[in-house]
Amino acid sequence: MTDHKVGTREDWLAERAPLLAREKEHTQLGDELAQLRRDLPWVPVEKEHRFDTAGGPRTLAELFEGRSQLVVYHFMFGPGYTAGCPACSSTADSFDGALPHLAANDVTMICVSRAPLEQLLAYRERMGWSFNWVSSYNNDFNFDFGVSAGEEVPHAVAPLLGANEVAALPLLSDPQVRDNLPPIASQNADATGTDVAGYFSEGHGVSAFAREGASVYHCYSSYARGTEFLMGYYAILDRSPKGRAEVGPMGTWLRRHDEYDA
Amino acid sequence: MHGHEIGTSEDWQAARDELAKLEAEQAQRNQEIEQKRRDLPWVAVEKEYELDTEDGRKTLAELFDGRSQLLAYNIMFGPDYTLGACPGCTNLGDGLDGSVIHLNHRDVTLICFSRAPIERLTAYKRRMGWEFPYVSTFNSDFAFDFGLALTEEQAQQVPEVKEMIDNPPDWLREWSGQIGAELKDGLREGPGWIAFARENGTIYHTYTVMAPDPFVAPYYNFLLERTPKAPPTEPRAWRKDEYPD
Repeated sequence: MTDHKVGTREDWLAERAPLLAREKEHTQLGDELAQLRRDLPWVPVEKEHRFDTAGGPRTLAELFEGRSQLVVYHFMFGPGYTAGCPACSSTADSFDGALPHLAANDVTMICVSRAPLEQLLAYRERMGWSFNWVSSYNNDFNFDFGVSAGEEVPHAVAPLLGANEVAALPLLSDPQVRDNLPPIASQNADATGTDVAGYFSEGHGVSAFAREGASVYHCYSSYARGTEFLMGYYAILDRSPKGRAEVGPMGTWLRRHDEYDA
Repeated sequence: MHGHEIGTSEDWQAARDELAKLEAEQAQRNQEIEQKRRDLPWVAVEKEYELDTEDGRKTLAELFDGRSQLLAYNIMFGPDYTLGACPGCTNLGDGLDGSVIHLNHRDVTLICFSRAPIERLTAYKRRMGWEFPYVSTFNSDFAFDFGLALTEEQAQQVPEVKEMIDNPPDWLREWSGQIGAELKDGLREGPGWIAFARENGTIYHTYTVMAPDPFVAPYYNFLLERTPKAPPTEPRAWRKDEYPD
């Protein structure tokens, strides 16, 4: 037996029907949101960022690889990290399967981090990934898009910073904040060979760009919970019998795929 | 030129802040719906099912692989399909392997079902490079009992299915060619997710969702909801090794 409410097929159908109506409404609203995202004004990227890549230095326009759209996952891996963020790593586990289908939709997807390229490529090999991972070690890209802590708060995403790790960094001097951080913060700091301040010097997010000829436009960015759609396992947990109900403090169950206990 | 509205960073930020509120509301609704799913009554599975796996026949209980939750995607790949599974379902399958180990550590076993015989599923799985367990519901009532497949008679009785068979749009004709089966057979398989729980030796059916639903779509579709240009609206799909260019 189980402590969960048990019913007949008829009971189940009677409760499934109104839930299905809500799911359909949610889908409809999701479609409207997708359209609103596409309605955002495009902002020309005036600065020329040069990235270190496995194929040599590349401009942002070159990272499109001839396609008209570029999606960047801002992967938390700063120069002070000894390894990539575990939560970002679990997210990135789903990327490779999507690449051929995104390419067919005129979309190139890459990861960008601020650690030097050699560190990124070594970690990519450890994880068995094949997506293009480029380094912004020698440019302002991460600072401009609010995913690395710099001296100046960047213009493009400043108010949204309220949502990500980099935005929390200045607040760490407040003991109220510092002492009440979710356990995942120190867990991930340990796992990346940093302390919380070091870990929060990088933030995760997703940004979308469009290219027309030589011009590149910034179209969309989202941070923190706004990137959850990329964590394939959460969508699946949401349909499982026990849901995503966390077994411990939020996210602390996540490990790099080669670091789970057998 | 593209004709899309161009703005300054300030224009973008103002519009983005408005959108962020709507996105937060949508996330909140998602959480409420997730709770409702968990509140559904569980229905005890009274019948014994044995299904073909790569490792021989297994009961439904054995498919849990020792965990308490089983989540399965039913890939449209019926016994009549001569050229492989539905390309759209195949694209969904391409997105699953990266999640398997993380789900396993949350007490969830993730698998796929199809109704074609196991040898054909195993060959197709190898072709696609998949690693998740792929289980055949061939020669079993399982798919019919849980609404994952229709008999020929049932297919004739569902007006939407009958209409698609009688008057297929171009993309559906093309799909029929991709799977190598007539629509009257091809459309008898149902694309969807099904979830089971196992407690103290009893198995319960907890949830089913069939297309269309954003979850019954490839992983990359979530990304295409965030790209600058709208993806095509027709549900035309190609297997990753069969793209035209």
